[in-house]
Amino acid sequence: MKFIISSTLLLRNLQSILGVINTNNTLPILDDFLFELKDDLITITSSDLETTMRVTISPDKAEEPGSITIPAKILVETLKTFPDIPVSFSINTDTLMVEISAGEGKYKLSGHKSAEYPHTPSLEDTTSISVDSQLLSQAINKTLFATGNDELRMVLSGVFCELSPDDVTFVATDAHKLVKYKRTDLKSVDSASFILPKKPLNLLKNILSTLEVQVAIEYNKTNAFFSFSNIHLICRLIDGKYPNYDAVIPKENPNRLTIERHALLTSIRRVSIFANQSTHQIRFKVSGQELILSAEDIDFSNEAKERLSCSYNGEDMEIGFNSKFLLEMLNNIETEEICLEMSAPNRAGILTPLNNENKDEDILMLVMPVMLNK
Amino acid sequence: MLVSRNIVHLDMDTFFVSVERLLRPELVGKPVIIGGASDRGVVASCSYEARKFGIHSAMPMKMARTLCGDAILVRGDMELYSKYSHTVTEIIAEKAPLYEKASIDEHYLDVTGMDRFFGLQKWTHELRESIIKNTGLPISFGLSVNKTVSKIATGEAKPNGELYVGPGAVQPFLAPLSIRKIPMIGEKTYRLLRSMGVVTIDTLSHIPVDMLERVMGRNGIVIWEKANGIDRTPIYPYHEAKSVSTENTFEQDSIDIVRMKEILVKMVEKISFELRDKQKLTSCVTVKIRYSNFDTHTLQQHVPYTAFDHQLIPVVKNLFDRLYQRRMLIRLIGVRFSSLISGNPQLNMFDDNVEMVNLYQALDRIRRKYGQKIVRRGVAIRNSEIAK
Repeated sequence: MKFIISSTLLLRNLQSILGVINTNNTLPILDDFLFELKDDLITITSSDLETTMRVTISPDKAEEPGSITIPAKILVETLKTFPDIPVSFSINTDTLMVEISAGEGKYKLSGHKSAEYPHTPSLEDTTSISVDSQLLSQAINKTLFATGNDELRMVLSGVFCELSPDDVTFVATDAHKLVKYKRTDLKSVDSASFILPKKPLNLLKNILSTLEVQVAIEYNKTNAFFSFSNIHLICRLIDGKYPNYDAVIPKENPNRLTIERHALLTSIRRVSIFANQSTHQIRFKVSGQELILSAEDIDFSNEAKERLSCSYNGEDMEIGFNSKFLLEMLNNIETEEICLEMSAPNRAGILTPLNNENKDEDILMLVMPVMLNK
Repeated sequence: MLVSRNIVHLDMDTFFVSVERLLRPELVGKPVIIGGASDRGVVASCSYEARKFGIHSAMPMKMARTLCGDAILVRGDMELYSKYSHTVTEIIAEKAPLYEKASIDEHYLDVTGMDRFFGLQKWTHELRESIIKNTGLPISFGLSVNKTVSKIATGEAKPNGELYVGPGAVQPFLAPLSIRKIPMIGEKTYRLLRSMGVVTIDTLSHIPVDMLERVMGRNGIVIWEKANGIDRTPIYPYHEAKSVSTENTFEQDSIDIVRMKEILVKMVEKISFELRDKQKLTSCVTVKIRYSNFDTHTLQQHVPYTAFDHQLIPVVKNLFDRLYQRRMLIRLIGVRFSSLISGNPQLNMFDDNVEMVNLYQALDRIRRKYGQKIVRRGVAIRNSEIAK
């Protein structure tokens, strides 16, 4: 197995699939990339058993089809140091020796048998949908931050995708905050729903942000398959029933506050510096057309209070929130003004962008308060 | 060269008894014992009249009653005492520049440098007068150069007195006193030193420090320093509690698991209310059991920050089940919440509903107004209590 390829081209492609490889693997072969040379094309695979990524590149020159796995870390570290030069790989698939020559250098390392590399799941009974890469990247960005980390509640660690003939909805929640991101410009022939895990979404987010392509998504009961440009990603879906999120979104919210997003964001950021640094709790006190933000850290006698003018319709109320949640949410909204709807101090607050320019986009963010004394 | 310091040690006289007497004047002048009424309880506090009979705190109740059959037994109400203790702390916090709450009835104050503006003895005397006037409780203080000497001075000033030991008077003050007066010397150390022929602090202060170190290790050095009136420990400003806990010794060792779980529920209710009341959250739950042979075991578990009974009760029950492995009688069970942080419980959109949160708030309001025991879960109430 022999091929010559530009170092930067190879490195760029390896880096796009490197994120799949875990730092600690029970199966040593998962530390490797799988290289397969066939029909003058190289297919490189990385996997953690749950998620598998594959890129296909065409080398400048290729001889003797074959396959081998090569330790990812050494390979990537080496390629990083090269300028853009042609690198030639000469691999003996019997002795598993990999010989790399680049410029005046010669490097040898030993690979592993490709037969030992885990097989990627085959896709049967799939349904497919095509999504614009920017739209998908947007949907991931807007929802991923709200996913949970609780290993006891795996379903909440992913993003719930609900496909219907009218629209597609992406939902993420950790039971304290929730984001519902609906796109009406995206439709599916069939109605379906599945939960995508966090890791592949993170990988997709990084790659998609710079691309302008169509992403073909295929899915069945157990896996989802994303393909775009020369990249394929297969991930196992999170098994389980996603909670009925619509039931927890309060329908009657008589108290409506509208405020300039940036002003609120900077105030919360400042006031939360004075809040307890593990709970990040701040208080909202709304009365008339005035919002008073306050925070305190009793242990250090820190205290902050800020007054903001807002437009408010409803009863006077006092409600406590984790400022971290609010900051994340406000950072993921682009409009100049936002609207915070509330019903009672012990019920969820609903954050929505006001006058969203994108008519196809429907964002709803929900944040649970903290139980205040009194 | 260390700047000479001025440290005040303020100590309430027979604190629990004094509070009881304030509410029940008929107890004045009589031997009063505060503590668990059962034979297995210990004396928490006793009046000077009771001390004449040889009763002292931490003595088993049974022994105390044998010594003085006429003594009036009072069950004791820690909630009430904490309230008075808090009032005292508030008065001190208002006046003193730096203070440390060492226990429910003791405070250390660092008043170094204040003699430039006030007469120190006069200032401290006025502080003491103000506490007596505002609470009606007797209090004594010692004023000296460090914590140890001040504390010993308070002991000498009691009851209801004050004592000033100036920088030059430390050695002569300590010298004739029994080594027992040094706060660090308990029963064991006292016996050891007595067996060496040491009776007074004077003798102790003249023993070469190396020798004490050989006998008692590092503690020997500290004891020697204290005997010489040396103590560099600073005043630690008052800190919030690092944990909340409660425990219960059974009147009779028991294997009644059902009952024990009920008691655990009651304990969780009690201390989780304490958390919510102080606006604290816990992330570490510990359960403790002591078997009849005094073998003590604890088991702890980390949980997401919370202060809700319904989240803590299952954790505590589960820990208890895992902990109770030996089929042996149990003497004591206890629950502790630690790793506390300030904050209010974060609501969960799937597990917490508004009705439940409103219920918590309503119950807590009732508890704040009428006392913590006024509302409880059904399982936490004993049949005998209902009969009352």
